[in-house]
Amino acid sequence: MKAAAFRPNYAALAGEAGVAALVAALLAFPLLGFRLDASARGLALDVRLIWVVYAAVAVFAGRLFFALVVQHYGVRFVASFSRADLLPRYIPARLTHYASRYHVGAAMMAFAIMLPWFGFSDRNLIDKMTLILIYVMLGWGLNIVVGLAGLLDLGYVAFYAVGAYSYALLSSTFGLSFWACLPLAGLLAGAAGLALGFPVLRLRGDYLAIVTLGFGEIVREVIINWQVVTGGPNGLSGIQRPSFFGLELLPVASDGGTTFADFFGIAFSPDQRIIFLYYLILALALFTNLFTLRIRKLPIGRAWEALREDEIACRSLGLNPTMIKLSAFAIGASFAGFAGSFFATRQGFISPESFTFIESAIILSIVVLGGMGSQIGIVLAALLLVGLPEWFRDLAEFRMVAFGAAMVLIMVWRPQGLLSHRDPTLQLGKPVAEGKA
Amino acid sequence: MSIVAPVLSVEHLTIRFGGLVAIDDLSFDAAPGQITALIGPNGAGKTTAFNCITGFYKPDVGRLSFHHPDGKTYYLERMDGFRIARAGVVRSFQNIRLFPAMSVAENLMVAQHVALMRASMFSIAGFLRLPGYMKAEREARDLARYWLDQTGLAQEADTLAGSLPYGSQRRLEIARAMCAGPKLLCLDEPAAGLNPSESHALNELLAKIRDVHKISVLLIEHDMSVVMQISDRIIVLEQGRLIAEGTPAEIRANPDVIRAYLGVEDEDELAALSVGVE
Repeated sequence: MKAAAFRPNYAALAGEAGVAALVAALLAFPLLGFRLDASARGLALDVRLIWVVYAAVAVFAGRLFFALVVQHYGVRFVASFSRADLLPRYIPARLTHYASRYHVGAAMMAFAIMLPWFGFSDRNLIDKMTLILIYVMLGWGLNIVVGLAGLLDLGYVAFYAVGAYSYALLSSTFGLSFWACLPLAGLLAGAAGLALGFPVLRLRGDYLAIVTLGFGEIVREVIINWQVVTGGPNGLSGIQRPSFFGLELLPVASDGGTTFADFFGIAFSPDQRIIFLYYLILALALFTNLFTLRIRKLPIGRAWEALREDEIACRSLGLNPTMIKLSAFAIGASFAGFAGSFFATRQGFISPESFTFIESAIILSIVVLGGMGSQIGIVLAALLLVGLPEWFRDLAEFRMVAFGAAMVLIMVWRPQGLLSHRDPTLQLGKPVAEGKA
Repeated sequence: MSIVAPVLSVEHLTIRFGGLVAIDDLSFDAAPGQITALIGPNGAGKTTAFNCITGFYKPDVGRLSFHHPDGKTYYLERMDGFRIARAGVVRSFQNIRLFPAMSVAENLMVAQHVALMRASMFSIAGFLRLPGYMKAEREARDLARYWLDQTGLAQEADTLAGSLPYGSQRRLEIARAMCAGPKLLCLDEPAAGLNPSESHALNELLAKIRDVHKISVLLIEHDMSVVMQISDRIIVLEQGRLIAEGTPAEIRANPDVIRAYLGVEDEDELAALSVGVE
């Protein structure tokens, strides 16, 4: 682009903008042109073609402006906004350095532990953070399957559902406590992971994704249709609330029980349960994180990553791909099972509504957005994808637009995810002496 | 030399892909403690034979018996690829297959998965960092360091395998295969793409693997300077059939080989053949 002669070809630019405006008008016609009005006389169709005109004019002006900017400043100026190193200017580059990431992680953990005691914390905030932590835990769990073992799983929510229903049914049928049900729910979800794993052992990539997607739907359909056990679409209610080492977090003690408030001689407050639930999920999530960090450095964790890298090479070194895949599926699934039983005890009510495909998609987006395999990245992504919609409920209509826009931006700026640095699982270091002569 | 039982005997190996007979009634033995080279023009079926031996293909006909130095015999045609590797037949690949996003050291640790997994007792001992597991992990690191030294990669232990230069990746693949504890090492064109000094270093490494570590080697190679210098025995394939077998000197003099493999008129290849002559 020659900077000296800036004589834009207005006719060509206007033509280009006109085409864009036409496309916008076509899109806006069904999307913005009609509106259903619920009035006293019933539903009425409100035609508002002027909105279509607004949209077309806005796109025309925007496109023209953009084209002029490109012509004036050159393509490089515009391209500089889409360079991969733009985001790190805002996310400190040091965050990708191991030592400082350790500090950031520790600071985040300290903040999370202190959170209920800050002045600005209220019920609402703790509740939202609890929800976010559920997704952080699910993201960390799915990260084992997708990030480490490289098995694209689109039906992760199925294991979350198995965990939730396991807890609800075990506690209401056998009267087991939350703490007894938690490992059982994890085991059952892990078993479901194995059940899914066997038939899909030969599949990779897209094919695996489609089968796991189907598996997620199968589990949901079974829950909907197996009325006798699962309550069908009505769900299960009256699920037992968790207790603090046997102390109930209720205003009035049940028969032979003691409430937390009575035991410590303090007044009952519903906040106690909220805060307890918050710490519970924090502990579960941190357990997931520590588990992943530790298992990565064990032979099985390295085998997962090797399998992601090259399955044939794995086989030639004596690694059994079947066992490696199944273990990844089962372990990833059992963390979803833990999270599911927490979800059930928190809500007190579960129904198939909570386990739709969109949940799987959100969890997978958290893993991908965070940067596959990055533990801190997943926390950031969960804050973005689950936290922001919670705080901007008023703008809920635009949620999917924002979601799509965020995904596009990430694809342009950081296709590898927000933070995508992989720590090696061991450091051999360089030889101290010059080695053997 | 022929009194000793072979480490690998291939008997009547035949494999077809549709109508194409890739390998036709191939029989040969690989003697223990020796380097046996498999040569032949492109498409002769060398890599296919390798894939049968290491379990990636199932032969239509034939018996592949691997005699482990401890006395056990394994029939490879019936075994899964990963079990063959566990039995002690470990291979490298013509198109390098490393774990590119993992560090060099990690590649070598993955190769020792079977032993480490046993020591970690389904990861339980690993989680608890029990002394037995920690010792196994230390030993695995030492073995990894040893082979890094042997292959001249000691300085690169913590770099990503995928970012190594080509020649180093080739050497890393050999180091990785050695870390898996083979008794028969199968190398598919280890010298491909190496410069003369690199392939000279490869010769020394292979000789060391044979003489110091007492590992039998089965080798596919096009580089005659490697084949002729270090092979104890050469098997020549053409269009899936064995056409000659013998010591480098015999093969060099064999008119069938010169006709079929080198082409009669090809002066360059003939010159390459005589590179190995002392």
